[in-house]
Amino acid sequence: MATAEIQLGSEATLIARVRSGDHEAFYELVRPHERGIYLAALSIVHNDADAEEVIQETILKAFKAIGRFREEAKFSTWIFQIAINESRMKLRKDRRHLYDSLDDPVKGEEQGDYIPRDFADWREIPSEALENARLREALTKALASLSPKYRQVLVLRDIEHLNIAETAKVIGISEAAVKTRLLRARLQMRDALAPGFDGAWKKGREYEKVRPW
Amino acid sequence: MARKPIEIDCEEVWRQISNYLDDEVGAELRTIMEAHFRDCAHCSAILDGTRNVVKLIGHGKAFDVPTNVSQRFYRKLNDYLAAHPKKRGR
Repeated sequence: MATAEIQLGSEATLIARVRSGDHEAFYELVRPHERGIYLAALSIVHNDADAEEVIQETILKAFKAIGRFREEAKFSTWIFQIAINESRMKLRKDRRHLYDSLDDPVKGEEQGDYIPRDFADWREIPSEALENARLREALTKALASLSPKYRQVLVLRDIEHLNIAETAKVIGISEAAVKTRLLRARLQMRDALAPGFDGAWKKGREYEKVRPW
Repeated sequence: MARKPIEIDCEEVWRQISNYLDDEVGAELRTIMEAHFRDCAHCSAILDGTRNVVKLIGHGKAFDVPTNVSQRFYRKLNDYLAAHPKKRGR
């Protein structure tokens, strides 16, 4: 909590510096959120080139609109919202939205029951396992295998640590919909990754079992 | 000693597992789910796996943005500031 307060305090200082004409402060303000903006954009537009374009536009728009930023808001929530909107606009421009249910509210298909792919026993693993490049690659593949609406929620909530209300606000859906999508996203990630955790990561065996769906 | 009967079925546990991890279930449901996890190895395995997913992906090292990519994120801003030299502080 203290860390969050310090973060908010330094954010407020940086924002004040930007508003007083110190543009360098804007780079400092954005830098900690680069990954979140990148993953949020990539969760919608699918490829790196489009994501880069979206991010460049997001950062420029945020800079121009910084005067309208409300002090009581979190900068991360605000800039992620711009990134999500820019990504959607990019999709619309490309007309791919006609085939994408990204903006739709919760529909019946999200109410369907979940059936686990397996019941692999996945014991605690140390975070040092993330030094393993194959594990990081498997995580990236698993994330990419999710449908966009699940990926967005997972990125904001579990990777960027926004709370449920903030996630709902950024995406523009209800908190109940966030919870439903989060459930699906987490369980699908588990299904994709759990079979590798029967010892493959620790014992150095080859593991290529991440499942596409 | 007689075991306490399972009061919730596996499907309902799966529906609530994410809320359980986020502490978004009421005290009564939490108690019922905890009893279920003690008795059901399958749901217990799913709980452990889901918790590990949340922990792993939430770790700062899980997803990286390549440095050469992130440098390009500021291209439009740099161009904009270059076109407005009076305000340029960079």
